[in-house]
Amino acid sequence: MDGFVSLKDVKKIYKMGEVEIMAAAGIDFDIKEGEFAVVVGPSGAGKTTVLNILGGMDTATKGQVLVDGRNIARYSQKQLTAYRRDDIGFVFQFYNLIPNLTALENVELALQICKDPMDAREVMEEVGLGERLDNFPAQLSGGEQQRVSIARALAKNPKLLLCDEPTGALDYNTGKAILKLLQDTCRNKGMTVVLITHNLAIAPMADRVIKIKNGRVSSITENPHPVSVETIEW
Amino acid sequence: MKKTVKPTRKDFYMEIKKSPGRFLSILFIVALGVAFFSGIRASEPDMRLSGDSYFDDSRLMDIKALSTYGVTEKDVRAMEEVDGVALAEGAYSADFLYNTADEQQVIHVMSLQEHMNQVAVSKGKFPEKAGECLADDEAGFKIGDKIPLHSGTDDPVSDTLKTDTLEVVGLGNSPCYLSYGRGSATVGDGSVSAFLLVPEETFDMEVYTEVYLKVEGAEGLLAFTDAYEDRIQEVLAKVEDITEERAQVRRQDIIDEAKEEIDEAKEELAKGKAEADEELADAAREIADAEKKLADAKVQLADGRTQIENAKATLISKQAELDTARAQYASGMQQLSDGRVRYEDGKAQYESGKAQFEAEKLAAEAKIEAGRQELQAARQELDNGWALVSQMEQQIADMEAAPPLPDDPGYEAWLGALEELKGKVQETENVLNGQESVYAAGAAELDAAEAELNEAEAGLNAAKTELDAAEAELNAAAAELSGVPAQLDSGQAQINSGWSELYANEADLNSGEAEIAENEAKLADAKKDYEEGKKEAEAEIADAEKEIKEAEEELSDIELPKWYVYDRSTLIEYSGFGENAERLGAIGRVFPVLFFLVAALISLTSMTRMVEEQRTSIGTMKALGYSKGAIASKYMGYALLATVGGSVIGVLIGEKILPYIIVYAYGILYRHLPAILVPYQWSYAIMASGAAVFCTMFATIMACYRELTAQPAVLMRPPAPKNGRRVFMERIGIVWRHLNFTWKSTIRNLMRYKKRFFMTIFGIGGCMALMLVGFGLKDSCYEIAKLQYAEIQFYDGSVYLEPDVTKEQREEISDTLKDEKDVTRYIDANMQNITLVNGKKERAAYSCVFGNTKELPDFVNFHDRKSKEEYTLSDQGVIVSEKTAKLLGAEEGDTVEIKDEEKGNKKVLIEHICENYMGHYIYFTPAYYEKVYGEKPEYNSIFFSVKDDCTSKQMEEIGKHVLKLDGALSVSYTHDIEKQLDDMLRSLNLVIVVLIISAGMLAFVVLYNLNTVNIAERKRELATLKVLGFYNGEVAQYVYRENILLTFLGAVVGVVLGKFLHLFIIETVEVDSAMFGRNINLPSFLYSLLLTVGFSMLINGVMYFKLKRIDMVESLKSIE
Repeated sequence: MDGFVSLKDVKKIYKMGEVEIMAAAGIDFDIKEGEFAVVVGPSGAGKTTVLNILGGMDTATKGQVLVDGRNIARYSQKQLTAYRRDDIGFVFQFYNLIPNLTALENVELALQICKDPMDAREVMEEVGLGERLDNFPAQLSGGEQQRVSIARALAKNPKLLLCDEPTGALDYNTGKAILKLLQDTCRNKGMTVVLITHNLAIAPMADRVIKIKNGRVSSITENPHPVSVETIEW
Repeated sequence: MKKTVKPTRKDFYMEIKKSPGRFLSILFIVALGVAFFSGIRASEPDMRLSGDSYFDDSRLMDIKALSTYGVTEKDVRAMEEVDGVALAEGAYSADFLYNTADEQQVIHVMSLQEHMNQVAVSKGKFPEKAGECLADDEAGFKIGDKIPLHSGTDDPVSDTLKTDTLEVVGLGNSPCYLSYGRGSATVGDGSVSAFLLVPEETFDMEVYTEVYLKVEGAEGLLAFTDAYEDRIQEVLAKVEDITEERAQVRRQDIIDEAKEEIDEAKEELAKGKAEADEELADAAREIADAEKKLADAKVQLADGRTQIENAKATLISKQAELDTARAQYASGMQQLSDGRVRYEDGKAQYESGKAQFEAEKLAAEAKIEAGRQELQAARQELDNGWALVSQMEQQIADMEAAPPLPDDPGYEAWLGALEELKGKVQETENVLNGQESVYAAGAAELDAAEAELNEAEAGLNAAKTELDAAEAELNAAAAELSGVPAQLDSGQAQINSGWSELYANEADLNSGEAEIAENEAKLADAKKDYEEGKKEAEAEIADAEKEIKEAEEELSDIELPKWYVYDRSTLIEYSGFGENAERLGAIGRVFPVLFFLVAALISLTSMTRMVEEQRTSIGTMKALGYSKGAIASKYMGYALLATVGGSVIGVLIGEKILPYIIVYAYGILYRHLPAILVPYQWSYAIMASGAAVFCTMFATIMACYRELTAQPAVLMRPPAPKNGRRVFMERIGIVWRHLNFTWKSTIRNLMRYKKRFFMTIFGIGGCMALMLVGFGLKDSCYEIAKLQYAEIQFYDGSVYLEPDVTKEQREEISDTLKDEKDVTRYIDANMQNITLVNGKKERAAYSCVFGNTKELPDFVNFHDRKSKEEYTLSDQGVIVSEKTAKLLGAEEGDTVEIKDEEKGNKKVLIEHICENYMGHYIYFTPAYYEKVYGEKPEYNSIFFSVKDDCTSKQMEEIGKHVLKLDGALSVSYTHDIEKQLDDMLRSLNLVIVVLIISAGMLAFVVLYNLNTVNIAERKRELATLKVLGFYNGEVAQYVYRENILLTFLGAVVGVVLGKFLHLFIIETVEVDSAMFGRNINLPSFLYSLLLTVGFSMLINGVMYFKLKRIDMVESLKSIE
């Protein structure tokens, strides 16, 4: 049975002059709706390629990428943009907030272009930044910035929340808090979350763990009883 | 050891190769800045140089001197002796009038000079003899034109020239006339419209009118420079020093000459008196002669009359004779025909007689013939008888011849025989004789018959003869009669001709009588003339005596001649040329600075960005142990190479092209400038390049300095993100709340990147300002005609009157104008060319006095340009046009002077200064004029206005009507002046195009550069937006919003900047004869704005592709 997100034999080949680099050499996996999926693997394994393709930032050279039944692998640039704006929430490793806009405004910036947005203030309250709406990114800590980033992604009411090493630039505790926020969001709102990380230690908190090595899926583990983040130590 | 390229050097080259855009943008903006700076700066010396080379080549004079009594050969020599004078040459010149079909022109005639003021012939040949001339090639003369000259004064042309008509043999130009201006004159309408050059011998004057000097060493100096002016002033002062002495000499000469002349005049007077007496005597004698001749003629006339009467009588008698002759002829004719009838009868009788006779004659002749034959037969018998007798006689003779002797027997026998014989013969003889007488009677009878016949024939013949004679007689009579009619006719003809002759003679006689009557009248006239002549001669003599007396008195009053010594500025347009060059210099000092500033700022941003981008690399180098200098040298070298490259390109191109274009543009004004010289002006090149190098190096050092002082560890970490800051606008909640987030971000962005903000505003503002100046220049120049003739001078035309116009003529012209239905109003005016003096400053201006001060506001509106306050003329002072006052340096309330070389300058008070654009005016009320000049103004022109819907054609029709009248000299229309103005201002178009193009280039470079930097700096932010799902267009909008905002902000700044720049440039470029408008029209603002926005859009278009190429993966990268 196909999942909510389904990659079928996805290949990505970069041509660098005469050399062909196989970034993804046939990746297959499915993620069900409302699942918290973690894609793990060492650097250069093809995680980012998966993220790019899934996030609509890049196209697969070969294979099918089905999201909610639609094959985005065949999308045009324009369709991809629409896909990004309506279906995807993106959480960056370095938050990528617009420095000139306040926390709230950063959220609203994303809402401005989307079809069925949530209320920005509410989302900010949800991510625990009800008090810091009017602060500029530079006035916020890394964790807070990441929360804004998550709020920005959630407020769009996306089908899929894509997180690229969301804790990569954060300290341990903050990272944990962020992971907690993501997990809670998944649980409480039924949001499908795909988290990409090199940190295998957080695998137990996921519903599904997809390990990638050398451009292929090396294993997929379904976790029937994911644990809460607080219980995980690394 | 193997020689290898140093890695640092390689890095340097790679840097250029990797980012050619940045390198080229610095190079290009520096090139632009340097080109503009050095190019426009160089225009000033280049223009002077072009002028100077022309002046030197044509050997233009340095100093001109003239005196009120002319310049003698001795004066010329004395001038040449002055220290510092290289050459002195006398010359002639004079002004004349020339009447064309529809106007009167003033022509300045000058002598050709051998050594100075060399003329260039553009067409035809040099004039070689008196009567030929070289014409001004601007004046529209053609080769072969004959120009009749009038003096315009009471003195005839022949006082000055040997011939009063000049033929154009060539066209050319003189260095004394650089441009269109031809100067002013004291005759005609006062402004010279053309010059003519003639060989020196054309002038018939005792002394030169002026002397030209060349100054030693002045040729080597550049005209219009201080060095040249100083040298000239030095020599000019020396020349002025000797003029005092020359004036004394000249005065003495004149007095001597005058004395001599007076003596001569006296002598002449005496001679004249004698001559007059003699002439009068002659006249009297002639009158007497004429009287006598007249009497003779009368006598002759009487004779003629008698002769004619006689002739008439003769003719009448002749006619009678002729008539009798004609009657005789008729009777003769009758006789002739009678005679002919008789003759015919006689002839018929004769014919019948003759026929009878012929018949009788034949019968008689036959009888006679028969008688003759009988006679002949009788004769035969007779003869025979006679022959027998002869035989018997013979026998007797024989017997007697041989008689026998009487004794002889036979004797008796013989005697007997002989006797017998003798008897017989006797007998026969008797018979015969009887017969013979019968014969003879028959013969006689016959002869008688024959004679009778002959007699009848003779009778017939006689009748015949008689008839012939009668015929001959008749023929002769006929012949005689046939000649008679011709004779009669000719006789009649003679008589007729006699009559006609008679009549002719009679007519002659009558005309003779008339002539006599006429001559009598003439004689009476002559007598009267004689009386008058006598009186006149007496009066003249008296006058002459008086004049001589006066002259003698005046002799003592002769003043010193006044000398005037001028430098080249006396030449028309010469100073203007220098001023134009100076103006270029002024533009060159301001204008390029703008470019330069932008260029410096651009290199600063580019280099700062470059250094910032290479932060990590700088940190690494530092960590590796490179000295600050070594690290900085890469960037310094980079900037230096771009700047020097740009400078070289800029100088090479800019110093050639820009001065050429600009001097060429001025060439429209100075048409005869033979060559445009644009040598490299190295001083400006070095100045510009030096400044460019300094600016970029300084910018680079400043950029490097901050980074280099930081610790390597800091450098290798990403820079602390810049803090978002609230801007002022957020305080205005209402506005802020209604903005969406991209707008908010945009506004905060603008405030955050201050350097970019100001740079862009400055760049776009500069572009806008330049274009505004370009379009504004056009407005200001083209507007002045409209302003002048719509808001200041309302009249549509003016009629100039002849100098000697009478009152009646003037009234007639006024009436004509009054009758024209299109003319709404008119006013008498006095227009004069004068020169205003204020201290050292001098300006030519028109003095205007209007006849009716009350109506004046309908013709001229006096008001202040800024405050629009209206003024009225008063009797306390004059109103002067704005530019005039400015050039004179005079203000309201000041007193200036009107130049009058003869009677001394006149002071006038400036009561107000009025807005005025075209020309220079000084307005008087008639009363104030009288106060200043001491005499009432003579109105020499009439200004008129026409209805608004009156076309120019209709107006010219009015002009034609007026010009037909005596006393009207010329008519001018304001629309003509407007057209002239347009032509003159064409030269500015090129400058305007240069401005607009350079403005566009400036805008492009600035915007491109800034946008490139902007995008590079915000790559990550833009990539994030893309990931968030912004369409390309939306991302572009995000960037464009800033650009658009900046463009409009820049435009606003540009409007302000442009206004000021425009004002400055207008004031520097405007020509002396006109004031340009200070206005910029709305369309110009719109055009400038549209162009600026257009450039901005173009840049945005280019940027779109750059934005599209931004990779979203950038957003995933860690901050550098």
